[in-house]
Amino acid sequence: MFHVVRSPAPLFRLLSPRGGVLVEAVRGRKSRNDPKAKSKADRVKLPPRIDPEEMVVLKERYEQYDLVVRALRAEFKQEIVRRRYENEVGSRAEERAKREAEEHRALMEWNDRENLRLRQLRVIRIQKQVEEEAKKRAEVVSLREEKRQSVLREKEKEILQLQEEVKTFITTENLEQRIEEALDNPKNYNFAIDKEGRIVKRTALP
Amino acid sequence: MVHLSSALLKRYHGGFVVIRLALGGCTNRPFYRIVAAFNKRARDSKYIEQLGTYDPLPNKYNEKLVSLNYGRIKYWIGCGAHTTKPVAKLLGLSGFFPLHPMTVTEAERKRKRAELMKAQPDGDRAEEEEQDKKEQEA
Repeated sequence: MFHVVRSPAPLFRLLSPRGGVLVEAVRGRKSRNDPKAKSKADRVKLPPRIDPEEMVVLKERYEQYDLVVRALRAEFKQEIVRRRYENEVGSRAEERAKREAEEHRALMEWNDRENLRLRQLRVIRIQKQVEEEAKKRAEVVSLREEKRQSVLREKEKEILQLQEEVKTFITTENLEQRIEEALDNPKNYNFAIDKEGRIVKRTALP
Repeated sequence: MVHLSSALLKRYHGGFVVIRLALGGCTNRPFYRIVAAFNKRARDSKYIEQLGTYDPLPNKYNEKLVSLNYGRIKYWIGCGAHTTKPVAKLLGLSGFFPLHPMTVTEAERKRKRAELMKAQPDGDRAEEEEQDKKEQEA
């Protein structure tokens, strides 16, 4: 047997009781040119025996069956042709055309409504976006302004401080006066502190 | 199922559409689908449309279940599809077609054989009695 077992064809798995692999059943072990077996050398194959009465009756039955089936076929064919004709040309065509036009119109209306709605939403969204952007820009500008202002204020403070310190500066005119003042008031920076944290600032001069 | 245009379908020379049984199922559990397919295709390969099913093993109520889509079968037969013998027999039994001649002849043959078995001499009757006794013992 040299039959080629083809791969299993895709089955309709929904309907088979248990999804499984279909194995091709290959009949016989001999190929075309193998000789007949010795035990079967004298075998004469005869066709099955026919009962002549039954055959007559069967033939009649078959003729009638064929007639009926042929008539049925013709009828079905005619029905198909008629239905196609009516669909395209006959009474159903106008109704179908009207129905389709209605459907088309309704769908276009729906489409337009949807577009309108989406456009409104889009307009609102874009407006919001623009406002937010403007706000952000204003915020940035205000922040920068604030920074500048704060810098200015600090600078002003420094200038005021300097102006105040200028009074205590020692210039060439004050020099002698300040020297005399310093010599007249000796300052004593020594102090004493004990373990309990009491500070004593009045100590004896050296 | 996606229907390909006729330009993409394989061209069969002298082929025709056939309504036949495609085998499925597992070992010792056959199951047939009644299918409209091209004649040249393998038995279980791609078909044009499924038109029904046939379960050859009887269920627990001793029924063999068959399903048929009469509308689509009518369409395909109107388009000129042939039917195989088993499909014709099933359609005949369901009433869509006239009863197939072989169904009637097989029934007659069976009845004749049953009557012959009843009218057999006592030799066969004794065998039947022995079989009945064995069934009763078991």
